[in-house]
Amino acid sequence: MNLERVSNEEKLGLCRKYYLGGFAFLPFLWLVNVVWFFQEAFIKPAYTEQLQIKAYVKWSGLGLAIWVAVLTTWITIYQHYRAQWGEVGDYLSFTIPLGIP
Amino acid sequence: MTTSDSEEDSYDERSALMSSETPPVPSYQPEQSDPDPSAQGPVLRRAKSSERGPGPEPELDEEEELTLKYGAKHVIMLFIPVTLCMVVVVATIKSIGFYTEKTNQRLIYTPFSEDEVSVGRRLLNSFLNSIVMISVIVVMTIFLVMLYKYRCYKFIHGWLILSSLMLLFWFSYLYLGELFKNYNLAMDFPTVGVLIWNFGAVGMICIHWKGPLQLQQAYLIIISALMALVFIKYLPEWSTWVILGAISIYDLVAVLSPKGPLRMLVETAQERNEPIFPALIYSSGMAWMVGMANPAEGGRQQSDAEAQEAGGSLEAEDSPDPPAGAQGACPSGEDQEEESGVKLGLGDFIFYSVLVGKAAATGGDWNTTLACFVAILIGLCLTLLLLAIFKKALPALPISIAFGLVFYFSTDYLVQPFMDNLATNQYYI
Repeated sequence: MNLERVSNEEKLGLCRKYYLGGFAFLPFLWLVNVVWFFQEAFIKPAYTEQLQIKAYVKWSGLGLAIWVAVLTTWITIYQHYRAQWGEVGDYLSFTIPLGIP
Repeated sequence: MTTSDSEEDSYDERSALMSSETPPVPSYQPEQSDPDPSAQGPVLRRAKSSERGPGPEPELDEEEELTLKYGAKHVIMLFIPVTLCMVVVVATIKSIGFYTEKTNQRLIYTPFSEDEVSVGRRLLNSFLNSIVMISVIVVMTIFLVMLYKYRCYKFIHGWLILSSLMLLFWFSYLYLGELFKNYNLAMDFPTVGVLIWNFGAVGMICIHWKGPLQLQQAYLIIISALMALVFIKYLPEWSTWVILGAISIYDLVAVLSPKGPLRMLVETAQERNEPIFPALIYSSGMAWMVGMANPAEGGRQQSDAEAQEAGGSLEAEDSPDPPAGAQGACPSGEDQEEESGVKLGLGDFIFYSVLVGKAAATGGDWNTTLACFVAILIGLCLTLLLLAIFKKALPALPISIAFGLVFYFSTDYLVQPFMDNLATNQYYI
């Protein structure tokens, strides 16, 4: 859908729903929220709902940053220590590379 | 592995190509065209394009020129997603061996095996397979059209949601697994869980609810590619080619004949003025324009139109947006917004990709793949040309698939050995 054709209240509603939806373990939704509403929130000339949209975009961005940090940490730990964990490592693994211990 | 039949129906009625131009809108006064023809020209012409009936001095040359000019734009706008889909499929086929491995598993739609010794028997089995497959598709399509006619929207939506759920979650999970196995990477369940959950949930939101247009287009391309990969893997070789031919003929019949199910679907949707289900159709969503009598708006429209002329890509954000004033202050009674983009059914994407993917998997080398690719794009061009001329829903499969099949077999069996011989004997032409 094209944001230009939509009224400001609807934009706010959409931004808000995307923000709330992201709490269901959906950082991707927060990413989409940030990218999609970035222009609306920060670049466009001010209108009534813009403040709230800005707030939602900022909080989505923050949530996204936290998720990225957590995921990166976990992935690094997993990749590094997988072999040493033995059975637990295998249990956690979706795919196990061949030929590498 | 047997796949559920929910995906079968949901792609075949997608095999329709239609222009999404809505009925004519009143355009603004023609005297505005005089002062600044170069800048306001595109806008005026575009407003005029919406007129099919008598309008203020319809300049037929301009209208025809416009049709062809915008036809060209639409062609480009469809080239990009079709190309992307095919590129994804071919890249996967060439790099991940899983999709070209011989498997004895078959879909329940192709019950006859192709492990026969004699050529005749094998051919017979592939024809029988295609008959089974096409009849399944016909039954599903008619069922869907009946449901649509009798307004069982909830059932249809539930069905579509189930089928997109399966595509977005299950097939992408399998794909991701094969991808990691291929590149010998370790991956753990929690991360995979998060990835698939995100991919699938955002996909469902974008396709079935509201989301950015580009993301929706990207998801539709991805699910078409996934579906095509499933077909390439599980359809036996000869059956694939026969099925491709048969489904093109079916598409032709279903869309053009007066009692064809797809035609009825399109007409019913147009009668009721409803869009066809978003999960079945790829929309290029190009230009939005407002036909209004207000000269001030015309000025703003003109700059948008120029920006859009310069853009001309798949992005809806480049398109001329109705001036912000149109939403609030202006008389809403006279505004009509028009979306002039082109819609292509997802089934078309899928079958084009099946053709090219199968050519990549079983054909000689890149010559065959490229030849099929070019053939399909040429077919698509021609189909869009016909669309511009006839201005009603047309089947997108027949011409492209016909060209594709001809090019595949001729390249694989004629051109390829010819080129090899030339290269071996160092004879350059």
